[in-house]
Amino acid sequence: MKRMALRLVVPVLLLVGWQLLASGSAQAPRPSTVVEAAIAMLRDGDLLAGLATSLGRVFAGFAIAACVAIPLGIAMGSMPTVERNLDPLVETFRPIAALAILPLVILWLGSGSGAAIAIVAYAAFFPILINTISGVKRIEPSLMRAALTMGLKPLTRMRVVLLPAALPSILVGMRIGLGIAWTAIIAAELAVGAKSGSSGGIGQMMFVFYAYSIDLNGMVVCMIAVGIVAFALDRALRWALAITVPWSRL
Amino acid sequence: MSAVSLTGAKAAGSTRFGGALVYLRTMALFVLAWYVGSLFVPSKLLLPSPLAVAAALRDTALNGELFGNALISLARLLASLLAAAAIAVPLGLLMGRSRLWNDLLELPVEMLRPIAGIAWIPLALYLFGIGHRLPLFIMFYTAFFPLLVGTAAGAAAVDKRLIAAARTMGLSGPTIMRRVIVPAALPAILVSARLAVAASWTAVVAAELVGAPNGLGYAIEYYRSMLSTPTVMAFIVTIGVLGFLTDKGLRQLSKVLTPWAQTGAAR
Amino acid sequence: MSAPKIRLDSVSKSFGGSVVAVDKLSLDIRDGEFLAIVGPSGCGKTTVLNMLAGLEPATSGTMALNGKPIEGPGAERGVMFQDYALFPWRTVRGNVEFGLVYGPAGNGLSPAERTERVERTIEMVGLKGSQDKYPHQLSGGMRQRVALARLMASEPEILLMDEPLAALDAQTRVILQDELLRIWGQDRPASERRTVVFITHAIDEAVFLADRVAVLSSHPGRLKQIVDIDLPRPRGDATRRSGDFARLCQSIWELIREEAYRATMN
Ligand SMILES: Nc1ncnc2c1ncn2[C@@H]1O[C@H](COP(=O)(O)OP(=O)(O)OP(=O)(O)O)[C@@H](O)[C@H]1O
Ligand SMILES: [Mg+2]
Repeated sequence: MKRMALRLVVPVLLLVGWQLLASGSAQAPRPSTVVEAAIAMLRDGDLLAGLATSLGRVFAGFAIAACVAIPLGIAMGSMPTVERNLDPLVETFRPIAALAILPLVILWLGSGSGAAIAIVAYAAFFPILINTISGVKRIEPSLMRAALTMGLKPLTRMRVVLLPAALPSILVGMRIGLGIAWTAIIAAELAVGAKSGSSGGIGQMMFVFYAYSIDLNGMVVCMIAVGIVAFALDRALRWALAITVPWSRL
Repeated sequence: MSAVSLTGAKAAGSTRFGGALVYLRTMALFVLAWYVGSLFVPSKLLLPSPLAVAAALRDTALNGELFGNALISLARLLASLLAAAAIAVPLGLLMGRSRLWNDLLELPVEMLRPIAGIAWIPLALYLFGIGHRLPLFIMFYTAFFPLLVGTAAGAAAVDKRLIAAARTMGLSGPTIMRRVIVPAALPAILVSARLAVAASWTAVVAAELVGAPNGLGYAIEYYRSMLSTPTVMAFIVTIGVLGFLTDKGLRQLSKVLTPWAQTGAAR
Repeated sequence: MSAPKIRLDSVSKSFGGSVVAVDKLSLDIRDGEFLAIVGPSGCGKTTVLNMLAGLEPATSGTMALNGKPIEGPGAERGVMFQDYALFPWRTVRGNVEFGLVYGPAGNGLSPAERTERVERTIEMVGLKGSQDKYPHQLSGGMRQRVALARLMASEPEILLMDEPLAALDAQTRVILQDELLRIWGQDRPASERRTVVFITHAIDEAVFLADRVAVLSSHPGRLKQIVDIDLPRPRGDATRRSGDFARLCQSIWELIREEAYRATMN
């Protein structure tokens, strides 16, 4: 009980501080006005529509990234020649922030969903790839040996030993990748919205609130929604990790 | 595949020199493919040849634009990282070691952390306008949470026996913090610093793209609007190189500061 | 005596050029024999077993199985690893049935026969009731019994076992020694027995189980002597109490005492 109260001290102080700070200006958002805006935005469906657009892009880009990164990571992790020869490309492109290639992507794919999905795929690709590689490389060698002595064919070995052994690491990569993807979509929509009008999505909504309607309450509602979705995505993958790999205590 | 798993060790022999050769070979093939591809794409706007990008790199390097913008972005990165560390590390140590502080801060941290720094950009635009303060704020915010959470986790995970041992030797609380907990948590702090820097690089580009009058992100966006794709690519290359070098620098720092810790993990 | 099942001809193995783990080992392993290998820690026992399993090539010398060179692993040679090598994502049952489900060992078995064999093997090693546990939920001794059951379930022609009973308590160990002899076929004529290569630290265990005991010396690992164990079969508790048994244990101990002291002292 006392702990509960203690945990609420800082959030309450923050809210009070916010309210006090904002009371100087008529335009500044306050906790009360933000709640009102949230209710209005939920009621007319704008918020959910924007979130749905962004989430759809995230899932599409994420799926593309996973479909390429996991097989590639398995190949790189299990075959040293492949790794040696492809590693330079990975190490060269990994430090290039997803947002940096946005202008190029817009040039190639326009400023619609295609560009946003490409950015997400690029952003999620590297965490998944790198964790898949390291998961495959860190497999206990004696497990592969055991499978060999029982006469398993290479494909069976990959399916029943390599894949499950690397799965925890792959899922960790997917969790990190999904978090990064969500950040990237906000940034991409924000930047696209900033420069070339309509693209939809929660990020662009925020920009519209800033640039056109100057609705700070709506902006804060969007920020909170972004946080809630990020939190929910992370929890969902943690949960997936816990149920698909009951043997591991990650 | 079986060859690796049989010996259990990676085909080690690859020397530094051999590694560099493989690197050059792969990248040469990549650039060649790019070059050939650019011959088949009629529009130089869509896919300029690597030669054009190299020329753009040379030109921007010679007229100082490249280093100027890179320096600005780097300075912002460094300033915001240092500021974030100065607050996040002490707070993280407190959270990791004191139940009171943890109870006080955990909830607000968990509430704010999921809101990506990038999502603050519109609000920051409104508050600060276009200028230095916007990217600094966004990067500070982005670097802050990985550092805080990483430090707290590192401090909380310090082996209890080490602290007990220090107690039995009669060390005072602050001495234990300085001589036992900080060094024991240092590897975790450095790993979180690497994560913070990686996240900040993404944030700096986004922040400068939207709301700064200079810096690498700004330059990319500026040259895109000028339809000078080679220069855009030249700046992208620069971002990649700097991102690589900062991470390498931090890894080197970790090696120097914590020679006892095994490196690897959390790339 | 017929041609040997396995023939090692001056087999050497070195790691990274400098460490000589096994030095010019020549050894014939007969069809249907129970061969025990004893020797001080680090003398190269596991290395020999890995080479027999086809998991590591010899640096020099030749190894042949049924007259054909050993070039890689094969399902006819089942291995029980010193570190168990259990699949952490599979339950006890999942581990035991592994070779039957995914390897050639289960070919020709109906699902019902397979299930029956898996359950029987689990019961034999005393793990009934733990079928659905994961390896990390088991004690060290229980894990070892899972590894043993996994090897037994596949019923390979040749069993290569690396200290299979080392982590067990004394009672369980005695029971499983008897069980092992039964599976090997000590009640059947010699022609129907499997071939077993059994690594152990315990001299009494080697003497009780084996037809012959190969004593290795260390640094580099060499064959010191092969001791014939001519205790009558079937063996049982009476064997353990006999004077011949004690005398054989004593003589092998004499052989390796010096080595063991040397290995322990430095
Ligand atoms: N992969 C390896 N690389 C380098 N040296 C090795 C390797 N494997 C084994 N050795 C060395 O070879 C020697 C024999 O090792 P081995 O594991 O065969 O001993 P062992 O007789 O099984 O010992 P124990 O009874 O302790 O299991 C040791 O000196 C060991 O250090
Ligand atoms: Mg061994």
